[in-house]
Amino acid sequence: MTVTEQQNPLLEGLRVRRRPDPCLLVIFGASGDLTTKKLMPALYALAVRRLLPEKFGIVGAARSEETDDEFRERMKKAVQDHARDPFNDDVWEELAAGMHYVTLDFADDKGEDDLAQTLTELDQERGTNGNRVYYFAVPPSAIATLVQEIAERRSAEGTVRLVIEKPFGHDLHSARELNSLLQQSFEENEVFRIDHYLGKETVQNMLALRFANGIFEPIWNRQFIDHVQITVAESIGIEGRAGYYEQAGAIRDIFQNHLLQLVAITAMEPPIDFTADSVRNEKLKVLKSIHTPGPKHIVRGQYGPGFVEGHEVHGYREEQGVEHSTMTETFVAAKLYVDNWRWADTPFYMRMGKRLARRETTIAIQFKRAPHPPFEDGGSELRPNVLLIHVQPNEGVSLAIGAKAPGVGMTIRNVHMDFLYGGAFREGLPDAYERLILDAMLGDPTLFTRSDEIEEQWALVDAIVALWQRDRPSFPNYPAGTWGPAASDELIHRDGRSWRRH
Amino acid sequence: MEATLTVEPLSESNWTGEDATIAQIERELARLRIASSGEDAQPNLRTSVMTHIAWVPAQWQVAAEETLAGMGERHPSRTLLLVPRPEKDDGLDALVSIRCFPVGERAVCGEVIELELRGRVAEAPASIVLPLLISDLPVFCRWRGEPPFGSSELEQMVDVVDRLIVDSQEWDDLRYDELAQVFDRAAVSDIAWRRTESWRFALAHEWPGIAHCEIEVRGTRAEATLLHGWLSARLGRPLDDIALAEADSVGVQLDGEDMPRPRPLYATPSDLLSAELDQFGRDSMYEEAVRSAAR
Repeated sequence: MTVTEQQNPLLEGLRVRRRPDPCLLVIFGASGDLTTKKLMPALYALAVRRLLPEKFGIVGAARSEETDDEFRERMKKAVQDHARDPFNDDVWEELAAGMHYVTLDFADDKGEDDLAQTLTELDQERGTNGNRVYYFAVPPSAIATLVQEIAERRSAEGTVRLVIEKPFGHDLHSARELNSLLQQSFEENEVFRIDHYLGKETVQNMLALRFANGIFEPIWNRQFIDHVQITVAESIGIEGRAGYYEQAGAIRDIFQNHLLQLVAITAMEPPIDFTADSVRNEKLKVLKSIHTPGPKHIVRGQYGPGFVEGHEVHGYREEQGVEHSTMTETFVAAKLYVDNWRWADTPFYMRMGKRLARRETTIAIQFKRAPHPPFEDGGSELRPNVLLIHVQPNEGVSLAIGAKAPGVGMTIRNVHMDFLYGGAFREGLPDAYERLILDAMLGDPTLFTRSDEIEEQWALVDAIVALWQRDRPSFPNYPAGTWGPAASDELIHRDGRSWRRH
Repeated sequence: MEATLTVEPLSESNWTGEDATIAQIERELARLRIASSGEDAQPNLRTSVMTHIAWVPAQWQVAAEETLAGMGERHPSRTLLLVPRPEKDDGLDALVSIRCFPVGERAVCGEVIELELRGRVAEAPASIVLPLLISDLPVFCRWRGEPPFGSSELEQMVDVVDRLIVDSQEWDDLRYDELAQVFDRAAVSDIAWRRTESWRFALAHEWPGIAHCEIEVRGTRAEATLLHGWLSARLGRPLDDIALAEADSVGVQLDGEDMPRPRPLYATPSDLLSAELDQFGRDSMYEEAVRSAAR
């Protein structure tokens, strides 16, 4: 064996993280908030940790006129304002050296030609071998044109990866159209549909919790679990995004993507390995097993004026850009069933919305009560065990257990055993976008949504939206700063259960 | 360079005891833990991922305390700082403190137990340490200065710990042959070796050309010796085929050309120790470098 054929003996033992191949990252929508608040800080964090390719460049593309220097300066400020690491000049200079900007009207051939020209030149300059990651931080209406333009200009050399932000379509039909357009020119493994919840450490920790601990999986089923509650609550309003939110509402903004993905991860069977298709096949089976909730099992709401964290806030209909008589929902609660062997008859209650009492995303696994408490007072104070996964904030896991209160009697009190991420691992949790951008560069689609998952999610949402055509609830029906409309409580009270107390 | 955390403790409360007993220390720890939470507040969490022992002869005490102060919030643990004072009268003095760091709406508390082992107590450190270990968690021991190989106290501690951490740059003699004898009893790591990590990455990048280059390694005695031993072992070349020279900092020449200095991976002594505490299991490359250097 020649020296060049041998494995590198000097690399053994070094904690080498896989680094992506050289590439250029093109961000469409580089003038938007996502780029400044999420993408650029994430890229900087990757640069700090030396996780970016050695040969790398970033090309921002947007309609607004900007020079390369202006773009770099704006991105520098974005990093200084939003990055989780202290600003380091050396790291920034290295990153900024490969940063360029192209003014681009998405419907204009000339702009695309200019972009292609810039990328070809940068390939020469930076040695990126024609490898491209295109990040679509643009409205859905712009995606189709861009995909076609990229397909037309695709060269035989190098890899192409398309990272597409949500929303992916606005119903099943449009999602299928977009999938079909993508599949005409690109393989499924070249398309990365982002649901940033899947990049969150705590969501991935659900997989670790279930499949790395022998104690949970045997009881993770209908025999031991009474029900599951998933809450995705935001205390903020629509933050000036009326144009988007009026079209989407809570059902398309959160339920269709984040919430159904949380259900899938909670309910999926153990995959045979952690490859992209094994994981996604199991999630798909869950999505296919969810049956459409009947009208009594789904509640929608819209916030009126109220107080959030001590501040008086407008109702949804008074938000700027929102129609005064709009019927867009800002809250959804639902009871879903996953009809399979593991979960039959186990309800999954979920609620999500804006201007709720506080920001919180949690998955609560409520176990069945102890069958026969033998204590004198009948264990009336005894509450069921709850395994609570805090997705955000205060990321971690806690288990509510009954314990004997000190004293001569046998009084049982509920106590929490807490695992706080920040308490056990003080490295600072990476932002979801760091992980997802890196995975896209590496070509690992495990934490991205596959076309068939997206379509199953839309099929369920379309069925729910169709139900809503038949009635017209009286909106607004909950004050801002509360936990949603009374009908949401009734939905769960009918089953003799209640939402978790906060 | 990994980002350095600079969170200051939210609160710190402590207790001092002369001629203390283990029972007293445990009792005071429990009391301080309860006291660290406000009366109406949720109790603070005691979170531990390890028991971290530091064996700190008096001349190393200031440096050790500075390092610990820089990393308290990173590795929530029970820290036992053992200061041997064999020249004093027999006894055990303790300073027990709870250091709480903010995590969201809660605080996470670590425990620091500083023990002065006086007189003959210094000869029996295991008897002090064993009752204070947290069950089922790994035990790391940072041994400051040159370990007294063959001594009773080192032997006892090697039997107690999962990982022994030294910094051979702190040694007067590079007693790597004696250190190698510990490898089968406890995992060993060396902060001097960790400091060479960025250079090892840089050298790995030179493969395969480096296989036949003329190489000169220079640096502080420990770092250069370890790097030299590693290159010899990994490239399968005799030690004297690679030149070795002392210098203030590490540098490498390949075929007479200086390699560019890589960006350091760790900014502070706390970062270096923290990296060692993140590592579990044996480091076979380090062991190979030490055995090679000891030849």
